[in-house]
Amino acid sequence: MTSEEKAVAPSYPGIAATVHKLLPDVPFVASETKTDVDLSVAADGLLPLITGLKEKKDLAFDYLVNIAGVDYEAEGMAVKYQLYSFTHGHRIQVTVPTGQGHPHIPSLTALYPAADWHEREAAEMFGFVFDGHPNLKNLLLEEDLRIHPLLKAHPLQPMELKQGIESGPPGYTF
Amino acid sequence: MTIWPETRVLDEEGLETVDMTINIGPQHPATHGVFRMLLTVDGEKVVDCEPIIGYLHRGLEKLTETADYRQAMGWWDRTDYLAGMCCEGAYCMTVEKLAGIEVPDRAEYIRVIMMELSRLNSHFLFFGAFGADVGSFGTSFIYAWRERERIYDLFEEVAGDRMFPTYFRIGGVTMDLPDNFEARCRWLIDSLKQGLEDFDGLLTGNEIFVERCRGLSPISTQQAIAWGLTGPMLRATGLPWDLRKAEPYSVYDRINFEIPVGTIGDVFDRYLVRLAEAYQSIRIIEQCLVDMPKGPVVNGNLPKTLRIDNGEAFIRTEGTKGEYSIYAVARGGTKPYRMKLRSPAFCNLSALREMVVGTYVADAIIILGSLDIVLGEVDK
Repeated sequence: MTSEEKAVAPSYPGIAATVHKLLPDVPFVASETKTDVDLSVAADGLLPLITGLKEKKDLAFDYLVNIAGVDYEAEGMAVKYQLYSFTHGHRIQVTVPTGQGHPHIPSLTALYPAADWHEREAAEMFGFVFDGHPNLKNLLLEEDLRIHPLLKAHPLQPMELKQGIESGPPGYTF
Repeated sequence: MTIWPETRVLDEEGLETVDMTINIGPQHPATHGVFRMLLTVDGEKVVDCEPIIGYLHRGLEKLTETADYRQAMGWWDRTDYLAGMCCEGAYCMTVEKLAGIEVPDRAEYIRVIMMELSRLNSHFLFFGAFGADVGSFGTSFIYAWRERERIYDLFEEVAGDRMFPTYFRIGGVTMDLPDNFEARCRWLIDSLKQGLEDFDGLLTGNEIFVERCRGLSPISTQQAIAWGLTGPMLRATGLPWDLRKAEPYSVYDRINFEIPVGTIGDVFDRYLVRLAEAYQSIRIIEQCLVDMPKGPVVNGNLPKTLRIDNGEAFIRTEGTKGEYSIYAVARGGTKPYRMKLRSPAFCNLSALREMVVGTYVADAIIILGSLDIVLGEVDK
């Protein structure tokens, strides 16, 4: 990060300003996607942030909509949480950027029971380890299969490669 | 999971009692597809339930990353295969949002008509299959199939295919409606109304049906929100929340309709909410037929090859089972970088254990039926 970039004051678009006002101690970087305000937070800051988002009256994010993993290859991976508030009708996205491999992320199952299957799916598809999840076994894949198909490094079946859909090298080993 | 546990318990009469594990599925008519559940029962009471899914997993999200933005749409039809058009709609809206593509008004109205017909199609299957679960095997199925056949006939006429029409396009729809569409659609609506009345007459007041459903597995709004239940499951608890109203997409903000709600969120409420919702869908279609403007049905300024720059979007739509949302990441190029489906049936099903524990085995089947799962969507 250059000195010029450091000098720019952090911006808090939309709901992020409220979050910063109510949770001044939680460090996050706010940005905007095409549809949501995104808060990027390190893995160890996730639980304080989400707890605050859920429990502060003016935020009241009571509904965990979705958890999605993304593999950015060289730039690491990320877990995206989408939250919605039935009380206020507003929504927000929380991003936890991680490294490659099997990064550890705190589980949200204690805060949102709905996180259970979402986290199991993200864990099997990307190899995330959700600390504190009561039952982190495969959900959609076979129980003893230890592959993470949604990683970009995971190739498609040779048959599909031959059809010319994918331009990667053929052949793979599990 | 032990069938015969080490420690055996004696009841008050000195008889040995053990919990028994029953495996239901994956090939079982009561599971509505390839779904499996392991029930642990104490006599007739369910003490534990483990839903096991993944038998229909086709790697939708991985496949989507390998194909062109336009090619990938065909696979999304196969998620909620009872309402293919709703899935196409969500997929197209996602890509349109990422790429900033406008959709002509006429195409939006056509889409809404098709999505609501799909919703009716899915709800009719629910009435038929749920009626069969509760004990009206035969009659309710035939009622449902009669109406669904007519909806599929119309789809075939409009799109050329029945279950997986692939009728929507990014920026509009494939082709304009056939000339006789309005007359055909009005005839269909009359038929569907008759079909709904038939179900109302067959099931709603039926003593056996009411006895088995009323008061079964009631859930509160707080529980439903915590478990992530959406759609008719959530509305049955009394919360009038529908994404078509809460975050209107397409032209739903120009259309008058109501959100039917239940009171205590039991199985009977879930049925009633779907029945009332089906009437609202008909209302939406009738308004669209009147309001639909003339004009182009697809955006004429689309590039030959769709390339989308960096961006991410989370598009939420009201699917037939609940919130059908797509989280998408684009990073340049002609293929989606990542698309994650937030499938409503998946989330509703994840709460199955909490709903069936403490009920009887026969009731567990009804509760599963009332979730209205479709495994194509659960397993992706």
